[in-house]
Amino acid sequence: MRRLALALPLLAAGFLPGAGRADVVFVINSLDPGIQVVDAATRAELRQIPALREPHHLALSPAKDLLLVGDAAGNEILFLDPSTGEVRKRERIANPYNLEFSPNGKLLVVTGLRRDQVDIYEWDAASMGLNLLSRVKPGDMPSHIAYRPDSSTVYVTLQGSRSIAAIDLGTRQVAWTLQVGREPAGIIWHNGRLLVGIMGSDHVAVVDPEARKVERTIRIGRGTHALFPSPGGGPIYVTSRVDSRIAALDPVTLDVMRVYEVPGGPDCISFDGQGRLWTTLRWTRQLALLDPETGEVATSPVGRSPHGIFFRNRDLVQARNEVPAAPATR
Amino acid sequence: MFDPVIRLYDAFTSWLFQNAVQPALYAAGMMEWADDAFSWMDFFIFGLLQVSVVYAVCRPLEAWRPVERWDDRRVVWTDVAYTLLARLGLLPLMAFVILAGVQAQVAGWIADAGWVAPNLETLIPALETRPLLAFALYILILDFGEYWRHRLQHSIPWWWALHSIHHAQEKMTFWTDDRNHVIDDMIAALWFGGLALLIGVPPGQFPLIVVILRVAESLSHANVRLSFGRVGERLLVSPRFHRLHHGVLSAGEEGRNFAVLFPFWDMLFRTGDFRRDVFPRTGDPEASADLVRGGWWRQQVEGTRRLWRALRGARAA
Repeated sequence: MRRLALALPLLAAGFLPGAGRADVVFVINSLDPGIQVVDAATRAELRQIPALREPHHLALSPAKDLLLVGDAAGNEILFLDPSTGEVRKRERIANPYNLEFSPNGKLLVVTGLRRDQVDIYEWDAASMGLNLLSRVKPGDMPSHIAYRPDSSTVYVTLQGSRSIAAIDLGTRQVAWTLQVGREPAGIIWHNGRLLVGIMGSDHVAVVDPEARKVERTIRIGRGTHALFPSPGGGPIYVTSRVDSRIAALDPVTLDVMRVYEVPGGPDCISFDGQGRLWTTLRWTRQLALLDPETGEVATSPVGRSPHGIFFRNRDLVQARNEVPAAPATR
Repeated sequence: MFDPVIRLYDAFTSWLFQNAVQPALYAAGMMEWADDAFSWMDFFIFGLLQVSVVYAVCRPLEAWRPVERWDDRRVVWTDVAYTLLARLGLLPLMAFVILAGVQAQVAGWIADAGWVAPNLETLIPALETRPLLAFALYILILDFGEYWRHRLQHSIPWWWALHSIHHAQEKMTFWTDDRNHVIDDMIAALWFGGLALLIGVPPGQFPLIVVILRVAESLSHANVRLSFGRVGERLLVSPRFHRLHHGVLSAGEEGRNFAVLFPFWDMLFRTGDFRRDVFPRTGDPEASADLVRGGWWRQQVEGTRRLWRALRGARAA
């Protein structure tokens, strides 16, 4: 009876075989090293997946059947099944701080913040294999990643070098670097421009990658950090960790449409089906849910220094169930 | 049970970071270190906590059953200065920060080679889901390292030249634990931090381990007539056990009772003295007046001279 009582919420949340009909949030706790799985409806913890040392960021595989979590200080990547939370594989990778798949799904780029390196891996979905093609040393503290939509170039921010580096994925060489401001952090590609959060200052730098220059800045708040385009071409949300706010940018004009005060150092964001923002609050052990319509913020406790976040909706599970599963290897 | 305490601590650190540390980093143009500063803020808070806890535990004990009573406590104030300089965790912090960069490189090379990085959880996978057991094992291994560092301090002449500052105190109190030459402190920090990184102590657990060992070490130096009993004396280092180590006949190479936390190491290596009724006078009969009664600076200078003489003597030999 007790087992049944324990199993019911897990079944409801899709964390036991045969189930998978609830929305859940994966929260990466960097200083309580592990991944916390939270029920999106009740915000109750469903599961803890331990990591070795200091996980920070994650990436969903192109087929949406795997969630790759980089444990930077643990020197490994965990391969999770997003529908069950099962760890399907752990792979030794040097200092995987941040990671992103290329738009064509063929490459995985991993930044090593402490080792000043950018690794370019070939992705083999069938075997969950990562084949290191090249290691590039573009500068000091490579951090966040953005791709050109045709997958020809990857751009990384260099927090210690005040710059961004463009790496040609054909030659796997640094094509150019550009000074953009003090401690650049988040970066995205948007309508032919690169938008870069300048963490050591208070703005987003808009970079023209063809002209290789900063063409304008958009004031957000001190400690401007990362940028997250909402699904469906909606606003671009920008976090600011010192002033603790989230700003919504118009996706066409890039003007600030609205600013939300979110105490606690908002960092990464993931969107749910209703367009709400799930964000990690780095300095307060909290997960925040922001409704952009009303501006209401609800918080719930998570682990220490939560960083990466991924909202997994039930549709993803359904879609994932329609494709054959890759063989599990441990 | 500890949830309210943890919540209170989190609320305090969160407030401190958001209102003082992060704005200061931002103003200094050092925001790339914000994540590290958030982690390492624990060190400073734990340092303050250590001094408070140690004082709250040891001072009443010393007032209750002192081994010795003194009218003049000036030399004790020198030890207080040592403590305030050392207890904020600055030296272990420096060692850990410096070594963390090296460790990131080394662990990365190991990962590149496809080997398993050297930490306990990867050597013993069962520990991945048993953090308390892993934590206990880390303490055990680090304590073993401290036992051998302490033995070497007594057996290598140049190291003893430095360590003799610690043993010169004739009015030993719980403050005496930090009475060390700065070079000795640096070596100790590198030794301890290096071993911690070698076995993969999680950065978040490191400050707590430092606190546990430091509180135990302070208590063991306290001027209190306290023994842990026949069994307890063999489980944890007591003030009596460590006082025998500081006794006038135990200075230098004839040392005994080297353990920091677990006397087991002295039992294993046959260096333990478990006479429960002996509370000898402390000090080093060969120590100069500067080492015994000098202030912080004079002791540091004298320790450096002794180190130089020891190194020159070794070279001449």
